[in-house]
Amino acid sequence: MSDGHETWLKQIDAELDGELSLVERAALAKHLATCSHCAGARASQLEVRVALARSAGDPHARIVPRPTIRGRALAFWAIMALALGIAAGWMAHGRWGGPGGSLEDSRAAIVVH
Amino acid sequence: MPRSSSISVGAFCVAALLAAAQGPGTRVTYRVRVVEDGVRELARGSVSGPTGTDLRFSLRGDSAEVEALFQIVPAGGGDTMTVIAEFFTKRRLGRSRRGLGLWEQDDYRRAVRLAWGDTARVHLFGRPRPTAPRAAGLWVEIALERGFSGGEGRPAEEMQVTGAGTDIRLEAVVRPRRARVILNLVRADTVSGPRGFDLVPEAPARRVQLALAGRRTNLEITLARPEPSPSARDRVLALDADVVCLRVGAPDAPEPVGVVCGRLNDVARRLPLPGGDTLVATFAWPSGR
Repeated sequence: MSDGHETWLKQIDAELDGELSLVERAALAKHLATCSHCAGARASQLEVRVALARSAGDPHARIVPRPTIRGRALAFWAIMALALGIAAGWMAHGRWGGPGGSLEDSRAAIVVH
Repeated sequence: MPRSSSISVGAFCVAALLAAAQGPGTRVTYRVRVVEDGVRELARGSVSGPTGTDLRFSLRGDSAEVEALFQIVPAGGGDTMTVIAEFFTKRRLGRSRRGLGLWEQDDYRRAVRLAWGDTARVHLFGRPRPTAPRAAGLWVEIALERGFSGGEGRPAEEMQVTGAGTDIRLEAVVRPRRARVILNLVRADTVSGPRGFDLVPEAPARRVQLALAGRRTNLEITLARPEPSPSARDRVLALDADVVCLRVGAPDAPEPVGVVCGRLNDVARRLPLPGGDTLVATFAWPSGR
């Protein structure tokens, strides 16, 4: 019974994504007419998708809109990553020095006290 | 620095040291402390010996090896001298594709002028960066002292290592001004009685006569210092400081019979002679050191 519901729930997901053929949609509709559990699950799925569409700024969408990265956000995160990289490099250079460094700097030095 | 120039400067230093060694009995002491981050003492010790004694220092870890030879060159006979330090270092760069360690090797010289009683701080891995904490890093403190020898001519070493994981060593390096050479003549199962000679390196040739089974063999022997080693590490660290070479020749013969080289360690070394006999030479420090 549980396995049967799992299968129908997957079919509901596929139907809402528009991936079912006519034959499969007819079979699903027939099942939903007799199964209150699956009908409720379908309603829940639809509500979730409506909420996602609203949060994406398109409450009248026919399908859930794909998340998009806006140009400004992309530029913001690119600048943030660049700034973080520069800061980390500067701190690491101060702590451990650059890769290789000057040969003379790595050689022994004698200081008189 | 070109190798020939390096060798000539080294020869000058040795000559200056040996010349200074002819003065009144003076003993020099290197007091050494190895300090990490200003507070942690990894090792302490001292090396002392007659004038001309050098300090050979080595520090070996997993990722770096530093070996150095410190020499004191008197400057004008006053209270100042120049310390010349020859370094030979190896640093681990990483691993090869086959998992073997890749090392970067370097050798160079440092010189600093200081007064007796001063302490020189040697930053083995370079001067600390301005941004680093003042006491960060690892260094070696070397205090130089001198005093009258009081008849003690032997070098002395003292060492206490407290830090685990790092191999630290101090050694006294003394170049022999004389050497005890013991000669035997060998023919099949017969060995002549030993004859000992106190020889001075680079002194004029000396005629010796060895007798074996009623036959006398005349030889001319000269003690010499070995040729500079082709290995940079051996040259820099004076690893052949106690090696001498005995040149053996026949009287009135232009070509030498042969050369035997070895450390002053009482090990017998053989040299075939033209007549079929074998000369066995043993080198040792002269008695009363």
